[in-house]
Amino acid sequence: MKTLHEKQPPMSKPASTGATALPDHVISIHIAVPVRRVWDEITKTGRVQRALYNTVLECDLKPGGRLRYYSPDRKRVFIVGKVVTVDPPRKFAHTYMFTTDTTPPTLATWELVEESGGTRVTITHSGWTTAHKAPHKVAKGWTEILGLLKSDLETGDIPLKTKVVYQLMKWFMFMMPKTTKTEYADKQGW
Amino acid sequence: MRPAAWNARDRKKMEHVWKALANDVRREILDLLHEGPRTTGSLAESFPKLSRFAVMQHLRVLEGAELVIPRREGRERYNYLNPVPIQQLYDRWVARYMKPWTEALVSLQTELETETHEDTA
Repeated sequence: MKTLHEKQPPMSKPASTGATALPDHVISIHIAVPVRRVWDEITKTGRVQRALYNTVLECDLKPGGRLRYYSPDRKRVFIVGKVVTVDPPRKFAHTYMFTTDTTPPTLATWELVEESGGTRVTITHSGWTTAHKAPHKVAKGWTEILGLLKSDLETGDIPLKTKVVYQLMKWFMFMMPKTTKTEYADKQGW
Repeated sequence: MRPAAWNARDRKKMEHVWKALANDVRREILDLLHEGPRTTGSLAESFPKLSRFAVMQHLRVLEGAELVIPRREGRERYNYLNPVPIQQLYDRWVARYMKPWTEALVSLQTELETETHEDTA
């Protein structure tokens, strides 16, 4: 049985008119490595982050700095944004926009807290509205990313299945929309 | 195939997850949270036959299993569903046993063929 008078969950104000705000995603995992190692991995620039779908982060690690997640060959950009918070090794927040979907940017926040000799990693992704294509898919993506991050940092490897998917992604990159091309992002000033 | 690391802490945690799921009310709470975060009060109202205290006890079990993450917003405590333990349970106990042999062989073939030119970017 559901109640009729539910209180509104916390959420940020929608940026565009006509769109209704949706609740934040909060996703959390424990990783048995020190906080610093997790921090170094998630803020690693210029090299492939295996847990983050094999993307390469390029960003100026200071508030206002430009942030982009590229394909390994840098020919495509999938996520663009601006750095909002950098508090090493605890908090990293940035705005987040898919190059395939020009809806208003959302906000992704990584929080790292020491817990029983390892690290509690919590992602809070906020700013969702009904204007966004598929917030639930992003939540599912984060769940997978955190699992991969754990696997990568604890065992030094990710599942074979995922590597196969990455290989397929490489082969089918040409099918991605034009808006993911790096030149396009440059032209847009993203 | 090891989908994720299973250290002593994780194994213990997985026991909490199975226990948390082995209860009808707690599974119903997860279904409610799947639709979106809820305050403890709002959840309690969804179970008129249970006391608020009983609902809170169930929430505590879910929290111990990391299936629920509480977030304080002003005076309210919101409960968020954390999908990670369910994904881990799925990877370890469902996907593994469902994996058809054909898929396993195809993966093996792809791995053997791509091994030599691993991406080093």
